[in-house]
Amino acid sequence: MVKKSQSRRSFLKKSAATVIGATIFPSIVPASALGRGGFVAPSDRLEMALIGCGGMGRANMKNLLKLKNKQVELVGLCDVDIKQLATAQKLITDIRGKSDAREYGDFRDLLETEKLDAAILALPDHWHSIMATNVANKGIHIYGEKPLARSIKEGRAIVDAVNANKVTWQTGSWQRSVSNFHRAAELVRNGVIGKVTHVEVGLPDGRKPIGTPAVQTPPEGVNWDMWLGPAPKVPFRGVMHFHWRWIMDYSGGQLTDWAGHHVDIAHWGLGYDDKQPIEVEGKGVYPVEGIYDVPVAYDFTCKYDTGVTVRVANASAYPDRKGQGTDVNRKRWGMGTVWYGEKGWIHVNRNGFWASEQSILDTPDAEIKNPIYKSDSHWANFVDCIKSGKETITPAHVAHNSISVGLLGEIAMLTNEKLKWDGSNEVFTNSERANRLLSRPFRAPWQLPQ
Amino acid sequence: MKKIHIYPLLLVLTLILASCGTKKYDALIVTGQSNNSHNWKASHTTVKQIIENTDLFTVDVAISPEQGGDMSTFSPNFKSYDVVIVDYDGDSWSDETKANFESYVKNGGGVVVFHGANNSFPEWKEFNKMTALGGWKGRTEKDGPYVYWSNDKIIKDTKPGKGGSHGKKNAFVIDTRQAEHPIMQGLPLKSMHTTDELYGKLRGPAENMTVLATAYSNPKTNGTGKHEPVLFTIDYGKGRIFHNVLGHVDKSEDMIAYKSAYFIYTMQRGTEWAATGKVTQVVPEDLPNLSTPLVLPAYKQFTLEGLFKNARKYKVGQSKKYLNLISQRIKNHSSNAEYMANIEGKMIQLLSADDCTADAKNYICREISWMGSDKALAVLKTLSSQEETSEMAKYAIDRLTQK
Repeated sequence: MVKKSQSRRSFLKKSAATVIGATIFPSIVPASALGRGGFVAPSDRLEMALIGCGGMGRANMKNLLKLKNKQVELVGLCDVDIKQLATAQKLITDIRGKSDAREYGDFRDLLETEKLDAAILALPDHWHSIMATNVANKGIHIYGEKPLARSIKEGRAIVDAVNANKVTWQTGSWQRSVSNFHRAAELVRNGVIGKVTHVEVGLPDGRKPIGTPAVQTPPEGVNWDMWLGPAPKVPFRGVMHFHWRWIMDYSGGQLTDWAGHHVDIAHWGLGYDDKQPIEVEGKGVYPVEGIYDVPVAYDFTCKYDTGVTVRVANASAYPDRKGQGTDVNRKRWGMGTVWYGEKGWIHVNRNGFWASEQSILDTPDAEIKNPIYKSDSHWANFVDCIKSGKETITPAHVAHNSISVGLLGEIAMLTNEKLKWDGSNEVFTNSERANRLLSRPFRAPWQLPQ
Repeated sequence: MKKIHIYPLLLVLTLILASCGTKKYDALIVTGQSNNSHNWKASHTTVKQIIENTDLFTVDVAISPEQGGDMSTFSPNFKSYDVVIVDYDGDSWSDETKANFESYVKNGGGVVVFHGANNSFPEWKEFNKMTALGGWKGRTEKDGPYVYWSNDKIIKDTKPGKGGSHGKKNAFVIDTRQAEHPIMQGLPLKSMHTTDELYGKLRGPAENMTVLATAYSNPKTNGTGKHEPVLFTIDYGKGRIFHNVLGHVDKSEDMIAYKSAYFIYTMQRGTEWAATGKVTQVVPEDLPNLSTPLVLPAYKQFTLEGLFKNARKYKVGQSKKYLNLISQRIKNHSSNAEYMANIEGKMIQLLSADDCTADAKNYICREISWMGSDKALAVLKTLSSQEETSEMAKYAIDRLTQK
C-alpha cells in the first residue's frame, strides 16, 4: 500500500536535489501529467481533494486554486452534506470556469478512487485525527485546519503518521505567513526586548448561548451519523455547521480554535516550536444552561522549563492592556500575543503590532542576526514545500505543540487541578483523572489506523 | 403495619433546631402599598422567604394601611430591628414615622431598598439621601445628578431631564465593580441576571454612595446605552443602606426576577451587611455566570441531593442545568477526595436507578469516565448491555480501564 502511494510523491519530488525515492519510478501517470491547459509543467501540477466543504475548507481551496500558474487542480470534493458539496462545486466553477471535481459523501470512497497528491482537510475537530491519519497513510500531502486535533493523543497520532509517511503538512495557522506576526516574532526571537519572562495570549470571549434546541430530523442530504463519526451518538438538534465549535464532543471552543493562532505565534517568538509546558493551572467558566458546553470564559497559565510563563485567557480578562496604541476600543487590545521581556514588550494581533518603545519597532535589519522562517502566502508555502520536500512554515509537530497548550489548559480547567506535565512522554505526572482526558474514546466502528 | 408516631419526634426536633438555630438577627419588611406597575404582595412574601433562607434572620412584616387610609396609625418600631427592608411605594408616612425612621438609620440601623421602593417618597429629602438614587414621580435635575459608570469610574451628570427609565424587560449581565466589598466577595465578576427591568436614568442626591455593580442598559432593548448602577451602598449617619435596583414583579406575579441566583444572593448578603456591616454567609456553590442566568425555584441554592434528584429526569432537548451544576461541583471539589468519593457514589446510584432517564445516565457516563474509579465499572458494565446506554457506558469503561 505504501509503495503505491509513494509513487506519485516521488514523481513530484524528482526535481528536488536529494530525493530518497528518486530511484523508484512512478507506476501511475496521473491525468494532470498529460498537461492539458496549464502553464505549469504537468508533473508539477497537484491534484487535490477538499475534505470538509464548509467555510474554512472553501476558503483554503479558493486560495490554492488562485495560486499563480494554476498549480493546483481540484479533482475531488467530500462532505456529509450535499449542500456543502454544491457550494464548493460552484466556487470551483466561479474560479476556473468549470469543475471536474467528483463528489463523495464518504472519504473512504474518495481515498479509494482518486489518486491524490494532496488534500485540504477542514472538518470539525473531532474528525481531525481519523481523517488526517488515513489520508497521510495514503501518502497524500495535507493542508489541515487548525487546531491539529481534539486531544493530545490524537495530535500525537497525526504527527506520527505525517512523519512515518513523510508527507508534507501545512497547518491552517496562517498568521505565520503574515508580516506583522513574522516581524513581531522575529524581534522577540532576536532578543530585542531582552530575555522574555512572561507571555500573555488573548483569545476571543466565549460565544453567546443559543438556548436548548429540541430534537429534530436532520435536513435531507445530511449524513448525520457520519458527521458525528467517532463522537458519541446524539440526536440531531439543528446544531451542526458552525455550532460544533461550542460543544465539547467536537471542539474546545474559542480556546482550541484560537490557540492554533495566538499561542502558535507566542511559541514562535519564544522559539518553543518543539517545546511543551511543564505545568498548567487555571479556571474556566462553564454554561449552566443551553446546548453549548465549552467554557464561556477561560484563564490559565502554563509554565515552561525555562521559567517562562504563558497565560492564555479570553480577551476580556485583560482589561488593563492600556497604552498599547491609541485605539480607544480596548476590547481589541485584549486579543493577540504580548511577550514581556526584561527590556520591554511587544504586542501583536491581526490589527498590527506595538511595542513598549518606538526603538523596538525601528530595530534595524542588521540587528536581526537570526532571521526566522519567512512565508508570504500560507498556501503557496504548502505547494512550494510539496515540490521542494522542505518543511512548511507550520508543520504538524509545531502545530501539535501549539494546540497542546490549549488542550492542556482545557484539561486543567475541567479537572480544576494544578497539573504537572511530562512533555517527552506526554503524560501528566500527578493526576490520573487528567490523564484520562488526554484522549477521547471513539464510537465504533471508528478508530485510528493501527 | 405498625403506625409510627412521628409528630412528637418532629416537635422535639423543631424545638432543638429553634433553640440552637443561628437566627441571630431581626429584620422588618415594611410594605403594604406599591404603584400600579408593581405588586407588593408578591414581592414582600418572596423577599421574606429569601431572607429567611439565610437562617440568620427572623423576619417580621409591617403592612401599612391601604392607599388613602389613615397613615397616622402606621408606626413600626424600627429601632427594635437590625435591618429594615423597604418594599413600599405609596402614601406618605406620618411625620412621626418618618422621624423615627431617620433616627433609626442615623443611629446605626440597617436598611435595604430594592426596585420599586426607590420610586417612593420623592418629597422626603432624608429618605432620598438614604437611597441615593430614585426614579419617576417628578424627579428631575432638582433632585440630583444622573449616575452611571464609565471608564472605570462613577460619573455624576447634572444635565436636566426626568429621573427614571427602563427598557424592555430582558436578561442582562451585571458587572461587579467592587469585588472586595463584603457583599460581592466571591460572587462572579460577571453574572447573568434573569429577565427583569433594568432601571436607568435614576437620579438623586447620590451622596456617600459606593457602587458595587452595574449593568449595561442596551439600546437594542430601549435602554440608555449606559452602564447603570444596579447595586450600591450608602452611608447615612451611622446607618448602612443597601440599595438593589433589581426585582420587578407586577400583577402577573411572574417571579422570575426573584428566582435569579444573582438577586437572591445579593439580597441575602446585602441584608446581612446592612444589619451588621459584615457578611458571614458562605459564597453559594451554584453561581450564575456571564453566559446564562441561574434560576433557583425555591429561592435558595440547591443541595447536592436536590441536584441528583432533579438530574434524573433529564431528556435530550431539555434543560441540562442540574447535570451541569453537578459537573460544576465536581470541579469545585476536585482536590477533596472525600467529596469526590461521595459524588461518585451518588453518580453510581443514579446510574443504577430505575427512575433515571437514559439521557441522564449517558451524561453521567461522560463525567464518570474521567473522574470516577473502578467502583463504577460494575454498573457501567450492566449499562453497556442496555441499548440506550451501551455506547456511553462503553465510553466510560474505555477511559476508566485505559492504560
